[in-house]
Amino acid sequence: MHKPPRAHPPLPRNWWLKHRFFIAYMAREATVLPLVFFIVCLLAGTLALSRGPDAWQGWIGFMGSPPVVALNALALVASLYHAWTFFQLFPRVMPLRLGDRSVPASLMVAGQWAGVLAVLLLFVWVFGRA
Amino acid sequence: MTTKQISIRRYLPERDDAPFWQPFEVPVDDSTSLLDALHHVKESLDGSLSYRWSCRMAICGSCGVMVNGIPKLGCKTFLRDYDGEIRIEPLAHFPVRRDLVVDMEIFLEHLAAVKPYLIDDAQAQETAETYRQTPQQLARYRQFSNCINCGLCYSACPQFGLNPEFLGPAALTLAHRYNLDSRDRGKAQRMPELNRHDGVWSCTFVGFCSQVCPKHVDPAAAVNQGKVEAAKHTLIALFKG
Repeated sequence: MHKPPRAHPPLPRNWWLKHRFFIAYMAREATVLPLVFFIVCLLAGTLALSRGPDAWQGWIGFMGSPPVVALNALALVASLYHAWTFFQLFPRVMPLRLGDRSVPASLMVAGQWAGVLAVLLLFVWVFGRA
Repeated sequence: MTTKQISIRRYLPERDDAPFWQPFEVPVDDSTSLLDALHHVKESLDGSLSYRWSCRMAICGSCGVMVNGIPKLGCKTFLRDYDGEIRIEPLAHFPVRRDLVVDMEIFLEHLAAVKPYLIDDAQAQETAETYRQTPQQLARYRQFSNCINCGLCYSACPQFGLNPEFLGPAALTLAHRYNLDSRDRGKAQRMPELNRHDGVWSCTFVGFCSQVCPKHVDPAAAVNQGKVEAAKHTLIALFKG
């Protein structure tokens, strides 16, 4: 049987600008950029630590400079936004069942935020005393 | 009775190589669906308009079109919900054959590729006996079995738009639906198809497929549950050697 040639219309590069749902998706994916900066900062910190007191002080100074503080503040906001989106998607990917009943999604989302709070309190307890 | 203007992207390959926009003034009341409006255009204004439709009640899945850039079923879209301009286009990411009619061949190929039917060799050899399934077993896959193959999720999916070889939301959901079915033994046959680059792993959980699904199937959830299953499948294969 004769088949017409397949010509799939190409997707324009700006496809994600056409709907706010896609913009929110791209924002979620873009959170990785400031987080990469934060990870590089951390790696540089451990390297500086191994190189001695001068390098360490240099790194402390670098971390205190306003643009670095601003970028890392952005990384914090980005990670919280990513967590917010992730926590909402999680119950759909890993639905939990207890016996015959499924655990409500809202309970799973609340549970994850409770986990964040617990880790935060643990950090305050560990590092707050130093 | 008031009227509203709808603009339809026409494509008549025998007349013109390029698609063009054509406005139509259609009578509307509170119950006028987009499909009703298309019928009015075809019957009273321009008989050359082509579009697919059948049931008028959101179960045949034929009348999918883009309404202001969002994939929708014509029969489930009401003109009362639109104040400004209403732009009707054929479903995105599919080759257009004529006017609002698209070529869905690749979608049908993707559906067939995941073997969307009960596979149970043991049952076939036995005498005709009905399957038994508890309500709990039914509940595991029921939501995913409501798909009507309308293809709206493919028009919503940018990953399918970028790569038509991606099996896509509906096919992967249907595969997951049969994998979850207690009567089915075909998971081992479906997993190699799911667990490849153009299978579940091409999905980046944009999630718009679930937003536009007219039957609330939540294909994004099914596809991403499929990733968990695919990962398990890989790990088990690794240990089995």
